[in-house]
Amino acid sequence: MNSKTSFLGIDNVRDVTRVSIVAALYVVLTMVLAPFSFAAVQVRLAEMFNLLAIFNKRYVIAVTLGVAISNFLMSPLGMIDVVWGSLSTLFTLVVLRFFIPYVKSFNSRLVTGVLWVTFSMFTIAAEIAFIGKTAFWATFWLNWGTIAIGEFISLVIGAILLYIMSKRIDLDKLLD
Amino acid sequence: MDKFIFGRYIPGDSWVHRMDPRSKMLLSFFFIFMIFFANNLLSYGLVFVVLFLAIMMARVSVGFLLKGLKPLLWLMVFTVLIQVFFGAGGEVYWSWWTLQITHDGLISAAFILLRFLAIIMMSTILTLTTKPLQIADGVESLLKPLKVIHFPVETLALMLSLALRFVPTLMDEAQKIMDAQRARGVDFGSGGIKQQVKTVVPLLIPLFMNAFNRAEDIATAMDARGYRDGKNRTKYRELIWQRRDTISSLIFVLSGIILFLIRN
Repeated sequence: MNSKTSFLGIDNVRDVTRVSIVAALYVVLTMVLAPFSFAAVQVRLAEMFNLLAIFNKRYVIAVTLGVAISNFLMSPLGMIDVVWGSLSTLFTLVVLRFFIPYVKSFNSRLVTGVLWVTFSMFTIAAEIAFIGKTAFWATFWLNWGTIAIGEFISLVIGAILLYIMSKRIDLDKLLD
Repeated sequence: MDKFIFGRYIPGDSWVHRMDPRSKMLLSFFFIFMIFFANNLLSYGLVFVVLFLAIMMARVSVGFLLKGLKPLLWLMVFTVLIQVFFGAGGEVYWSWWTLQITHDGLISAAFILLRFLAIIMMSTILTLTTKPLQIADGVESLLKPLKVIHFPVETLALMLSLALRFVPTLMDEAQKIMDAQRARGVDFGSGGIKQQVKTVVPLLIPLFMNAFNRAEDIATAMDARGYRDGKNRTKYRELIWQRRDTISSLIFVLSGIILFLIRN
């Protein structure tokens, strides 16, 4: 790209293509592993990609884009979810990047990621409560509960998968 | 595969299909904005008139629109029930502990249901009539003002279209890997949760490795062709604002004005 500007860890063409491909992977996993959801609790396994932000800050944008595309392709709320969902992901992961330097070991970083991203589902609960307009708090708490359960399941599975993968391939080298 | 390539897009040449993606996106936001200001039967009626007009102009079947409701069914039921049992005001029909069913509660529950229906249906019309790549072009164009604050709009648009380009390719790859692993005896989607997680590993590792190799190849190809981002790049697909976009915008704005006059 030959430009001097860096944008959340994206400095050159190599970074651009890697970010794009991770965004595409997020979308593919959302579609391939879609059947993992039951009633009000939705498990989007691709949400484990949030944990990639632990490795390098450029995946913040990758996951944000992945969320935007998946929500456009699949979410019934359409553009609201595209805008709100991706801004919420961006916010969550940028904040997660702030924690990372203070957490040293790989495993505790995974745990931090799982807990914070699960907690951050209040943003989505607020979106739904906002659309529901009245009885804001009742709608908010109930949705935070159900959404966070699904998110927690996806992230724990994701953390376990990343842990298993880190034993077999050099994730640091692949992702950095 | 085709249905994945285009998401939920249904090819067609209706009025809405031919509209500029920018106007479609802006108008669906405007519509949502309108819904938030609707607060009585008359204003909701107007919202639905606009919605039905859009459905007619998009020439999409109502069946497809109803399918769009399914994933959010639980959420809608939840939200409406909360409203029914916690809503207060007006005549009380039934009450027990903190739960009560009241006149005003029922009315607002009905309005919330209408609100969800309208938002979901309009969003579905947008996805059914617009290709993801058109949306990417539209987003790029709409974000252009952000260049003032040095936001890398072109880079973002490039990443967006590259990602969209690779969804079908990686989808194919994922299917191939799954088939290859099935041939080796992996049973996807069955067994306990532990078993299922284990089956995802032999899918994820090759998918990751291949994807990153592919990213490397594209980067090399782009470098070799002397790709430079940003200023002075010409575009393969140009967006053109047509008369139909102006007319549609006028109709929406007019409905917006009427809505402000008839709401409480």
